[in-house]
Amino acid sequence: MDLDFTDSDRTFRDEVRTWLAEHVPREGRPTQRAAMRAFDLEWQRTQWDGGWAGISWPEEYGGRGLSLTEQLIWYEEYGRYDLPDIDARFVGISHAGPTLMARASDEQKAYHLPRILKGEVVWCQGFSEPDAGSDLASLRTRGHVDGDEMVISGQKIWTSYADIADWQELLVRTDPDVPKHKGITWIICDMHSPGIEIRPLETMEGESDFCEVFYNDVRLPLANVVGEIDDGWGVAMSTLAFERGTAFTLSQVQLSRIVEDLIDEARDRSAPDGRPLIRDEELARRLATARAEVASLRAMTYAAISRSRRQGSPGPEGSMLKLFFSDAAQRVYRLAFDIVGQDGLEYRSRSSAGGWSGKYLYSFSQSIGGGTSEIQRNIIGERVLGLPRG
Amino acid sequence: MDLLPSDEQQEIAAAAAAFLAKELPIDGVRARRHEKRAVDPEVWARCANLGWFGVGVGEANGGVGYGLVEEAILFREIGRGLAPGPFLATSLAVRAALQTGRIDLAGALMAGDCFAALGLPRDPDAAVEDPLYGAFDLIDDEGASVLLVAGPGGSALVDVSALGPVKRLVALDPASRLGRIDLTGAPATVLPHADAGALFERGTVLAAAILAGTAEAVRDQAAEHARTRVQFGRPIGVHQAIKHRCAEMALRCEAATSQVFFAAAAIDGDRADTGFQASSAKIVATNAAVDNARDNIQIHGGQGYTFGNDANLHLKHAHAVAATMAPLRWHLAHLLDLVPAE
Repeated sequence: MDLDFTDSDRTFRDEVRTWLAEHVPREGRPTQRAAMRAFDLEWQRTQWDGGWAGISWPEEYGGRGLSLTEQLIWYEEYGRYDLPDIDARFVGISHAGPTLMARASDEQKAYHLPRILKGEVVWCQGFSEPDAGSDLASLRTRGHVDGDEMVISGQKIWTSYADIADWQELLVRTDPDVPKHKGITWIICDMHSPGIEIRPLETMEGESDFCEVFYNDVRLPLANVVGEIDDGWGVAMSTLAFERGTAFTLSQVQLSRIVEDLIDEARDRSAPDGRPLIRDEELARRLATARAEVASLRAMTYAAISRSRRQGSPGPEGSMLKLFFSDAAQRVYRLAFDIVGQDGLEYRSRSSAGGWSGKYLYSFSQSIGGGTSEIQRNIIGERVLGLPRG
Repeated sequence: MDLLPSDEQQEIAAAAAAFLAKELPIDGVRARRHEKRAVDPEVWARCANLGWFGVGVGEANGGVGYGLVEEAILFREIGRGLAPGPFLATSLAVRAALQTGRIDLAGALMAGDCFAALGLPRDPDAAVEDPLYGAFDLIDDEGASVLLVAGPGGSALVDVSALGPVKRLVALDPASRLGRIDLTGAPATVLPHADAGALFERGTVLAAAILAGTAEAVRDQAAEHARTRVQFGRPIGVHQAIKHRCAEMALRCEAATSQVFFAAAAIDGDRADTGFQASSAKIVATNAAVDNARDNIQIHGGQGYTFGNDANLHLKHAHAVAATMAPLRWHLAHLLDLVPAE
């Protein structure tokens, strides 16, 4: 057990630091959707050109073939900058990409993976439905085989970036007559297909990041099925396990920076009696607790990466990281809101300078997206502690 | 970078757990609660034979030659098994004795010929000087040869023979023995400033390791009860009210143990942010131990409120350990004053 980084790790960190200092976008991220897409993809392209795309992806798929340690170093340095932790590139890089690597055919991998890394395409997720949220396996969007095509009809919801996406990882019901986990298929959906209708949803944070997606007899080639027909649940579970593993490393790094920013805010701001806010005992106690919690979140991340390297996958412990992160993030942004006081009454989007009100509102999504905290607690109770299923 | 115990480190933990289960079972805490010493002297001697009081001491000084990581692994097991006795005081006193040239005392402590008590200053920030003044709570002082004081105000050894009369108190924690004393100029062997700070950080991490072990022990006790206790015809663990409470307990353990290992490895690796990491470990582990102990009592219902159930012993011990190496509010204030982590 040690925290030592090797000489080559340190050299790698220096290279990352130098490159980021020169290449991180200086201009703000646009809010207009097409411009936002162009901005996110341009940033991915810049990383690709610099040789920083897919650090821990195998070389055969265009990655660098390095370890999770280098990936961690990248995130630790990247997290020093105020860039979005989850942008239009997230599903492709951290979700669909790893799933395709694990389960797709050689042709599918050869076509899609390089395009993701080069910043040519945006992916989105098509899992949740109005009546299939936490109970994802009860999804009803139908897929029936017609010749060498699959015809899709139904509806998905909470699909981030659907309006600017090219591809979607889509779960459909292909056999309604078997137990619900057994009749699901994972298929790659071309978001430009005829019959797809997208309606953006306004979130409580005020940005329209996610959408409803309607499918009216959308025809997809059967060659787009990943894994076997009716075996989509197993494919999806490999995705979700990954999502709960290392995919939140950047969010964790950014949260620790946010806590430090907040401590600076509390030092700079004065209470009505003129004393710095950091002398307020209640706020000081909460700030110190937040510092200790994000320190332990980092330690948990290091432990999870150590475990992944030994076991090859993050395991159910990934649910602990997700749960701890989302709880800690909500406490931190609530604390931020208390520190900025009446300044928080002015709405500022989470990506703008001083956007504490937007960040606070956005934090409510953390314990819902990617599997609610209640589902994470079920997973921990049942798979880590061996408690009986309800 | 690797934050999981190696095979060798896992063997240390397994051997310690097996020894503690056999020689210092939790029942002994109840059975010996009216004895002057929390641990049978013969068992204490066997712990010494295993090298437990010199785990992190170099072989040249008669120790085992491991780092703080291995010591933390041992202390986590001590917490998990609720092993009573002055393990923390004695291990720290060995280092303090070596750093102040008291080689014979260090040797006697490591050999189990004598042991140290812990002196908790009522004011954690009070300067530790020779001669030593101030009010102290004494943990496991009966029969001890030397008192170890380690805190933010400094670290020192005080010979128990120089203490004068100690007021005896009934300890909240049946695994500890409690005394109180007002020192009015006791001769003290004071550690140099840098050594004292380092000793306090090591002690902080080891106290946190015990607390992480407590958090894990009661998590396991609660999960076992949730799996086997039947009400309304089903194990109570099927209900989310119980299951989610248990999941939160597991989460606190993961955070506490990971941070304890991070802090221990930070000290072994001579990082610049050891104070930050040690205080973080104490804060997270204190909350994990006390919150988990509370949840475990609740999950056990009426049984959890009885003295015969282990749940109350863990809660009481958690509070006793949390009070060592400066209390929670000191670490919170201190952590906020530090520069950010490396």
